[in-house]
Amino acid sequence: MTNSKPKYKLTEQDFNQINRRSLFGFQLGWNYERMQNSGYLYTILPQLRKIYGDDTPELKEMMKTHMQFFNTSNFFNTIITGLDLAVEENEGIEGKDTVTGIKVGLMGSFAAIGDSIFASLIPTIFGALAASMATQGNPVGVIIWVIACLLICVFRWKQLHFAYDKGVSLVTDMRDRLNALTDSATVLGVFMVGALVATMVNIKFAWAPQIGKVTMNVQNNLDMILPKLLPAAVVGFVYWLLGKKGMTSTKAIFIVLILCIVLGGLGVIAKI
Amino acid sequence: MAWWQILLLTLYAGLEILDELQIYSSLNTPVGAGLIAGLIMGDLPTGLFIGASMQLTVLGIGTFGGASRIDATTGTVLATAFSTSIKGMSPQTAISSIAVPVAAIMIELDVLARFANTYFSHRIDHLIDQDKINYKAVERNVLYGAIPWSLSRAVPVFIALAFGQGLVQQIANALNGDLLWLGNGLTVAGATLPAVGFAVLLRYLPVKRHAAYLILGFTITTLFSVLFSGMQALGTGLSAVNKGFTTIFNGLPMLAIAMLGLALAILHYKNIPINKGTAQAQSTESQSNSASSSSDDDEGEITDDEL
Repeated sequence: MTNSKPKYKLTEQDFNQINRRSLFGFQLGWNYERMQNSGYLYTILPQLRKIYGDDTPELKEMMKTHMQFFNTSNFFNTIITGLDLAVEENEGIEGKDTVTGIKVGLMGSFAAIGDSIFASLIPTIFGALAASMATQGNPVGVIIWVIACLLICVFRWKQLHFAYDKGVSLVTDMRDRLNALTDSATVLGVFMVGALVATMVNIKFAWAPQIGKVTMNVQNNLDMILPKLLPAAVVGFVYWLLGKKGMTSTKAIFIVLILCIVLGGLGVIAKI
Repeated sequence: MAWWQILLLTLYAGLEILDELQIYSSLNTPVGAGLIAGLIMGDLPTGLFIGASMQLTVLGIGTFGGASRIDATTGTVLATAFSTSIKGMSPQTAISSIAVPVAAIMIELDVLARFANTYFSHRIDHLIDQDKINYKAVERNVLYGAIPWSLSRAVPVFIALAFGQGLVQQIANALNGDLLWLGNGLTVAGATLPAVGFAVLLRYLPVKRHAAYLILGFTITTLFSVLFSGMQALGTGLSAVNKGFTTIFNGLPMLAIAMLGLALAILHYKNIPINKGTAQAQSTESQSNSASSSSDDDEGEITDDEL
């Protein structure tokens, strides 16, 4: 059995090819049934062919293995690819169970970390910056975000080789660091949300009830307590709303839309 | 709208989804869409304004995983195109009467694209089962997935831009005429919608643990924004009275606020104990090397934020 082990050693060109395919093709085949299955196979198919040889039963077996369900963050997928290839290159078809274990075992946790960093935190921090500049007609914030995204692409490009070199121990090592980093980034995220509530929800009370002979300026009275109290209250209301059963963000958007049309139409609140 | 504007906007709609799936250059985001649609329509401020509002509305709504989400990018493209080309359609009204409904309808088309790709996945299964595998065909069937993705955005944008102008003009006329109260309400809604994005985001973030930072961010910014806008008003008033008064006061710079937040985040990071003990217990030299180089990468990440 030992002579069935593959002889091929991955080269720098192989890594570049995988990275190119990962950046430009990984999620094109995304489908409801098995999600990123075909994308994963696509990124490493040329290397599988070199490791096992064309038209061998081993290659067919591994292609089928890689067509199974797979879904992770597309910012971290090449870490799993790197760990996978390090095993396949050394053990060939005998490493099949290990490879499946690595893929299934890691895809969930990398999906969670990747989503919280790249789908939540980065868009919050840079999106908030870009949006607050853009409301004043300034495109610089968008350009800053694009530059940051290019830097992230460099990071995505480098992690493949890194994971391939370090092997599985990398994951336990990295998890602590990543968790610490994510936690600190949420501090910045939470801080920025506070800042955004204070600047980006531009509504005020237009309602001025007559009490006896005195007209009460509701907005000014509130300003004396704390400026921007109305935006904070609206955000608090939607936050509470989202905690309700069966509530989705899309439903919440439409509820706010309707409430605003009613209250705005009646002249209770107005745009600043 | 000129035919080449419709063509470019359709092209952008078809490409932005591929960008979002792959490289994520951030030009696929609502604020990026506002920039590009604004440039194409020749009205950058309007595009940026609509893009920014939609960006804030969907701030917390983001998962790359399975779930389809409200497509604010396509909404921004159409709202910008109509707001700049239709008389009487203000940016705020365009946000709540065009961008939000379009973004919600687009969820269905996203689902359709994801379904269509199941077909290609099955074709690959079939190809692998052949005695002689056609490797090029396997790869082609992965890349064909780009077609449903692209069309799911490009087709509706093209149809709306090419055939929807008359309808949108009628809506705009009504909102400025008989339905003025509704127009006012929609304007308020456009200004309020970012609140939803913030609330969704707070649901995502560990708010209870980091409540102090939320309060700090809100209070510092509130105080400064009142101070800055008051000073701007004062400066404008003074320079009107006294010609010798030429000092210009700008608005509150958000980057400065973000820097305060970054400083707090760095302090927080430094205070988290990284568990080195377990790594060292099973450590060979190469592993401790990997620990130090991975920490380098992490610090690289923070400098990214600093930009």
